[in-house]
Amino acid sequence: MTTTVSASGLTLRFGGTRALDDVSLRLGRGVTGLLGPNGAGKTTLLRVLATAVPADRGAFTVLGHDPATARGRQELRRNLGYLPQTPGFHPDFTPFEFVDYVAILKELTDRAARHREVRRVLAETDLDDVRGRRIKKLSGGMRQRVALAAALVGDPGFLVLDEPTVGLDPEQRMRFREVIARAGEDRTVLLSTHQTEDVAMLCNRVLVMAGGRIRFAGTPAELTARAAGRVWSSSGRDPGAKAGWRTGTGAFRNVGDPPPGADLLEPTLEDGYLLTLDGELAEVTA
Amino acid sequence: MTAPVREKEAQAALAAPGTPRAAVLALALFEARRLLRRLPVLLALVGYTTWLVWHNVQPWDEFPVLQDADRATQGGPLFVALAALLCANQAVLRSRRRDTERHFEVLALSRGQRTAAHALSVVPLALLVAVGVVAQFTWEAVKPGAIGHGSPAELLVGPLTVLLFGALGVLLARLVPSAVAAPLLVVVFFLMFVGAAFPFAGETGTAWLAPVVGTASKYPFPSGLLGRPAAWHALYLAGLALTAVLLSGSRGRRVQAAVAAALAVTVLGGAAQTRDVPEATAAARQRASLTPEKEQTCLRRGTSEYCAFPEWAPRTADWERVVRGVQSLAGGPAQGQRLLVRQRLEARYGLDVDSALPPATTPGQVTVGTAWGGNRVPEFSTAVAAVLVAGDEKAAAGVCDGRMVTVMWLSLAWQDDPEAQLRHVRLDDSLSGEAIVLSPTDPLTMTAGQTEVVRALLERPLPSVVGRVKAHWAELTSPKITTARAAELLGVHAKVGPDRCEA
Repeated sequence: MTTTVSASGLTLRFGGTRALDDVSLRLGRGVTGLLGPNGAGKTTLLRVLATAVPADRGAFTVLGHDPATARGRQELRRNLGYLPQTPGFHPDFTPFEFVDYVAILKELTDRAARHREVRRVLAETDLDDVRGRRIKKLSGGMRQRVALAAALVGDPGFLVLDEPTVGLDPEQRMRFREVIARAGEDRTVLLSTHQTEDVAMLCNRVLVMAGGRIRFAGTPAELTARAAGRVWSSSGRDPGAKAGWRTGTGAFRNVGDPPPGADLLEPTLEDGYLLTLDGELAEVTA
Repeated sequence: MTAPVREKEAQAALAAPGTPRAAVLALALFEARRLLRRLPVLLALVGYTTWLVWHNVQPWDEFPVLQDADRATQGGPLFVALAALLCANQAVLRSRRRDTERHFEVLALSRGQRTAAHALSVVPLALLVAVGVVAQFTWEAVKPGAIGHGSPAELLVGPLTVLLFGALGVLLARLVPSAVAAPLLVVVFFLMFVGAAFPFAGETGTAWLAPVVGTASKYPFPSGLLGRPAAWHALYLAGLALTAVLLSGSRGRRVQAAVAAALAVTVLGGAAQTRDVPEATAAARQRASLTPEKEQTCLRRGTSEYCAFPEWAPRTADWERVVRGVQSLAGGPAQGQRLLVRQRLEARYGLDVDSALPPATTPGQVTVGTAWGGNRVPEFSTAVAAVLVAGDEKAAAGVCDGRMVTVMWLSLAWQDDPEAQLRHVRLDDSLSGEAIVLSPTDPLTMTAGQTEVVRALLERPLPSVVGRVKAHWAELTSPKITTARAAELLGVHAKVGPDRCEA
């Protein structure tokens, strides 16, 4: 893997809370999923990598640009596409105007070329038909796509997407995944999400964060493999399970250390994720 | 999702990032287009256009003096300036109000550069106002009766005011990021401008700290006597606008140095403009008021001589037309009398002081002011007639007998609409009763009887009255003649009361 983003020892405190605790990571081209429970530090990590907030300690580079220097930070920003969690919009703008505005802020100054680029990303995010409608008249899913188009405009080398599929219906989520997967073909995409299916379907790498630390870094298959032999079915909640929940058949699915002779099941990425969070989770029950 | 157009390499090459400066300009253009479409700006532009049209179709304004016309361009843009303040402020606050700052702060264009773009976005609006200013001034300048010289610095004030207020809107958004601050400030300014509550007034001193100092001269001054520090004021406004823009932006060393330079320019312009009227100008005003003959050029037209301040030389033809009209109706030696029409001005007390001109005592000398058109024409005509009848202006001011009938008939009868002119020349715009009659120097007085006789004469065919006037000229211009006798000589049967001299 050719490293495009590398960080070492990133630490950031908010008051007494250590939002990032000595985070080190390496990313290459493709889509990297960032999983973690609420408060794990995912958004903080994305904001640090997007140069929105500086870390207290540690260093990182993106596409060879070091944001510790003004020039490096500027170059990084020129190569950055950022979709923040709950992005804001200018409701009186049209999608075309908003993405055009962001394109200007990305220093795309040739008007004709910029407008072609705006039309391209609007087409890519399936917003062609509504590009002249006011954003305030668009649905939540469409707005989210406007934000994605704004992140994609200018063909940035590093895309930071903070929970882009939250609040989308399954069809919209599927469309989003397609765009993100395509974007990851030739750039580095860091995708924060709570949806393990997103990671399973999109990502070639995955990071799991909890308590401000990276708990896992590897491929989705490796994360899934962590649960091999540690997922079993039982008629009742197994007291030895780290997490267990009732399934639609009425049986319980347990993850953890199975008792001898347990009815082992095929693990999923979610099982691996839950096991990785061992100690960080309250008991998962349903 | 539809299949994307896979031409990314080509697209990316075409849409390659430009320089930060080009991006600032692109953003400024983007914001300018939005600014020009904002409702307050559109309303202000409609208001400004209406003001321009209203201001330039005044029927009495056919003889503009361009050194006054230039600063008459400064009032209208104030409303556009207020709209610029409001909308530029809201544009800067937009990202904060809509929570897009979190996103935009990590993009290539920094906050300082975005602020600069917001400030620059006001430039097209200022240019639009500049077009309005130039159109307004040109409209005045191409009128056949236009005289004098406009000042580019005075013409710059309107557009600079729009720039300044736009910059203030940007600065305010950075200092007080509240949506209510700008509307409040706009209301305060509006009350100051419209409610005439502006604390600055006068020709010098703190008056010049205000953006528009429209010192309203009662009578036009020659451009050399104005003493308005227009260039310093334009520099002051430009410095102020630049300071506001720079203070809104980043805090780098270069910016701090630029702020210092802009402040220095502002202080320089501000200090220079608030000084008293220069001594040389005051001395020139003194000379123009007391010994105008030393400052004027004289032209002989027909039998009379016309002496005017150099900028007014083209207007002597208009004065001659009046003199010719009056003399054509006069009898005796008056119809060929050589008059000296002298332009006079009281400039010693400043532009905004309404000082009366004392009547001249030189026989045959008629005073004409620096304003022309509208009521000034019958007023001058009255002065010409009064001098032809009474000998000089001082004597004319004291006419209280039947000669007043001859004076007023001579003054009015040659004009296109004598009755309307009679109304215009009387202070109370009346057509009956006693009234004060205006002239360039001391006013005259018409009694009710004289008014009645004059109106009766004006209703008759001109040739029939002209014959009688010429035939009885000596008696009609005698100080001993009563109004009753004048009426009798002119064939008017009217009950006239005693003259003021008799009462």
